[in-house]
Amino acid sequence: MKGMHNKLLSADLSVQSSAESTIDAEKLTGYLGGRGLGVKLFTSLVNPRTDPLSPDNCLVFATGPLTGSIVPTSGRFSLVTKSPLTGLILYSNTGGSVGPALKSTGYDCLVVRGRLDEPCYMLVSEGEEPQIIPCRDLWGLDTLETQNRLESLGLGRFHSLMIGPAGENGVLYASIMNDGNHRAFGRGGSGAVMGAKNLKAIVIKVGKAKPDIDNPELLTTYVKSARDKMKVAPITNSSLPMFGTAGLLNVINELGMLGIKNFQVGYSHEAENLSGEAIREQIFEKDEGCYACPIRCGRMTKTQSMNGKGPEFESLLLGTLTSIFDLVTVTEANYHCNLLGLDTVSTAGTISCAMELREKGALNDDRIQFGNKDILIPLIEDIAYRRGIGEELASGSAQLAAKHGMPDAAVHVKGMELPAYDPRGAIGHALGYATSNRGGCHLTGYLVSMEVFAAPKKIPRASTGSKADLLVLKQHQSAIEDSLIVCKFAGYALGFDFYSRFATAVTGEDLNITRLMKIGERIYNLERLFNVKAGLSRKDDTLPKRFLTEPLSEGLSKGRTVPLDSMLEDYYRLRDWDKTGAPSRAKLEELHIKP
Amino acid sequence: MTIDEETFRIFQRVGKEVLMRNLGSSHSGNISIRSGGKIIIKKRAAMLGWLEPEDLIECTLDKEDSSSLLASTELGVHRAIYQQTDAMAVVHTHSPYSVVLSLIEDEITCIDAEGMFMYKKIPVVELNVPSGSSEAAEKVPPILKNYPACVIRSHGVFAKGITLEDALQNATGVEFSAQIRYLTMLTGKPLKRDYSKEKDFGNW
Ligand code: SF4
Repeated sequence: MKGMHNKLLSADLSVQSSAESTIDAEKLTGYLGGRGLGVKLFTSLVNPRTDPLSPDNCLVFATGPLTGSIVPTSGRFSLVTKSPLTGLILYSNTGGSVGPALKSTGYDCLVVRGRLDEPCYMLVSEGEEPQIIPCRDLWGLDTLETQNRLESLGLGRFHSLMIGPAGENGVLYASIMNDGNHRAFGRGGSGAVMGAKNLKAIVIKVGKAKPDIDNPELLTTYVKSARDKMKVAPITNSSLPMFGTAGLLNVINELGMLGIKNFQVGYSHEAENLSGEAIREQIFEKDEGCYACPIRCGRMTKTQSMNGKGPEFESLLLGTLTSIFDLVTVTEANYHCNLLGLDTVSTAGTISCAMELREKGALNDDRIQFGNKDILIPLIEDIAYRRGIGEELASGSAQLAAKHGMPDAAVHVKGMELPAYDPRGAIGHALGYATSNRGGCHLTGYLVSMEVFAAPKKIPRASTGSKADLLVLKQHQSAIEDSLIVCKFAGYALGFDFYSRFATAVTGEDLNITRLMKIGERIYNLERLFNVKAGLSRKDDTLPKRFLTEPLSEGLSKGRTVPLDSMLEDYYRLRDWDKTGAPSRAKLEELHIKP
Repeated sequence: MTIDEETFRIFQRVGKEVLMRNLGSSHSGNISIRSGGKIIIKKRAAMLGWLEPEDLIECTLDKEDSSSLLASTELGVHRAIYQQTDAMAVVHTHSPYSVVLSLIEDEITCIDAEGMFMYKKIPVVELNVPSGSSEAAEKVPPILKNYPACVIRSHGVFAKGITLEDALQNATGVEFSAQIRYLTMLTGKPLKRDYSKEKDFGNW
C-alpha cells in the first residue's frame, strides 16, 4: 500500500536478534496502519492470557499512511501492547516527531519482545541492523537526564522514546516519554512493560526514506483546504493555540462536570486558579507543537524553581481531583510526573483515591488529605520509587481501594482511572467510558466533543436518544484517526471526509468514508475479541457506582446520574455482541476476523 | 414503539425550518434519523412544517418491513443511505434554486464563501425516474459516501449529517450556494475573482 514502506522490524531482546519482514498487503488494506495495524500484528503475536510484564508481551510501535506526510497533525504514531494496569489490550498514540523519524528509517513498524538481563537501549537506523546496547549508566536517570545523556553520545540527529524511574520500578501506570519529556504514550502502563524488558530507551536516527504517495498533487490541494479550515475554526485557530488544552478547564467546570475531589464534586470556584487563562498569565513561556501541526497546543512553562511542558487539561487532575488549587504546585507535580515517567491521569486518580480512603477512615496516614499541597510531589516521588505508601499506590486505585476494603473509592473503568470529564455531565460520553476497549479513556469515543463542544454539531448532553448509535460511529472514527494517524484536535476543524480524501490520495486505495468506517469497526471488534479472550465480560462494561447512583450536588449538572443500562442495551444490540460481551460469530465473519 | 419527546421536538423544529425556508411544497420533503439501530422517519403525506408526534414512524434499517405502508415514499433511499454511508440523519428537500441549477449543470460549484468552506462542489445525479424510484436508492448513497449532499436533477436535495440539524444545515447550505450561483448568473457579468478556480475545486 502506498504511504507505507510495507516493512516491519522485529527485535527480540532475549536472544538479541532482529529481523526485517514485509507486511502483508491484506493487513494494510484491512487495518491501515497505526492502531489498526498495531492491533492486528499484536493480536497475532501475543496470547491474550500473557502476563503483561513477562518477556512474552510485545510492544508494537506502528506508524500510519499519513505519519510524516504533509497532512496537518500527522506527526503521530501508535503503540499497542497488553496493559499491566488493566490486563487488556492497550492502544496509545503520541505526537512530537518520533513517528516521522521511525518512518524515515524505512520501517513502518517496530516490534519489541523478550527481555535482556541488563538495562539496554535500542538504536534503530536506516539500512542497518538495530543495535541493542547495554546502558547501566542510564538506568535510574529521569527522562530529561536520559535524553541529555543520549545527546552526549554523538549519535547524530535522532528522536527517542524512554522510560523514567517509574517504568524501571514497574509502576503499573508508568508512561513512555518521547524526546526527554516532550510528549508521552501516557496511559495504561506501557512504561512498565518497557521497564520489565530492561529497555530504557529506543533511539531512532532520522533517515531519508520516504514512502510513495499515490497522488501528491491532489494531496496538496486537500492539505491547503484543510489548513484554510483550521485557520478559521475557533477551537483550532484561537482557543487551543492561545490556552492549550487547559483552555477546556473553565468550560467543563462551568458545566459542573469537572472531576473534583475524586469525583465527589463537579464544580469548584477555585478551579479557575488552574485554568488556561491562569497558565497563560502566570507561567506561560511559549507555545510548542508536534510535527506538521499548525495548532500548536503545547505550552512551555516555568515556575520559580523549575521549567518544562504543560500542564495539559487532563494533567490538571493532579490539582482538581486532590482539591489542590495551587497552580505552581500542580505545574511542578506535572513536571515531576513527566521526569519520572508517570501517567498524570492515573497518578492523580490514585492519589485522590488514597485521599478519599483517608477521609473515610480506611487509610491511616494523616498527611494524605484533600487540599494538602505539601504532600503532592513527595507522594509522586514515593510512587515512582515504590517507597512507603508509594508501594501500594504504584498498583493503581482499583487495587489500592480493594485492599483497604472500600472498592467504590476507586474511580476507574476496567482498572484504568478516569479522565477529567465527570460522566454525569455528558451521558453519551459516560457510555464511552464504560465501553472503551482500553478502560477509563475519553479519547476512544470522545462523544463529549459533540455533547459539550458542538463539534461537529451539538447534541443534548443529558438525553439518551441516539447516544449508542453516535458513540459507535465515534468509536469507529476514532479508531481510524488513530490508524492513519491524525490528532483528535484536527477534528475540531475538519470533517471526516477530509481523512477519507487524505487517505485516498496517499494510498491510492478507494478509502471512502464507508470503507473507513468498516475498517474502524474491524479494529474495534478485534480489540474486543482479544479482551474477551483475556477474561473481560459484559459485567466489566460499567462505571463506578457513584456515577450511577449518586447525583451531583451542585453546578449545572446538579441532580444527574448516568442511566447506563438502557444505553448499554442499545449499544450491545448495535454492536451485535452477545450476552457474555463477545462479538457474535456473524459479526466476526462479516468483518473477516478469525474467532 | 415510542419516540421520545426530545427526538420529536427536533423533528418538529427541523420540519418547520424546511417549510419556512421555502424548500418545497406543503407536503414535499422528508427527514429521518438513525436511532437504536433503526430509522425514525416522517410518515407519508404528513406535512413537514406541521408535524405531530404520530407523524413519525420507526422502521427497520437492515431490511424492508411493514412500516413502508405508512413511511415516506423515499424510505428506500433513506434506508440505503444509512446502510451504505456514515449518515446519522438525512434531510430531503425540493429546494428551488438547487433544482434549477441541477437542470442546467452537472455539478454545482460553490462560489460563495460559506459554500466554498463547507462543500466546494455539490454533485448532481441524473435518474430516469427522478422521484421515489429504486434508482435513487442505488445512485444517491455512493455519492454520499464522499459528499455531505447531492442534488437529484429536477427533483431535490439529499443531505446527510451527524444529527438532524447537521443534515438540515447541509440541505440549506447547498440551497444557499445554489441561490448565490444562480443570482450571479442572472447578472450576466463575469466574476471579478473566482476563488473556486484558485482553490482547485474541480479536483474535489
Ligand atoms: S494539536 Fe497539539 S497534540 Fe495535536 S498534533 Fe498539534 S500540538 Fe500535537
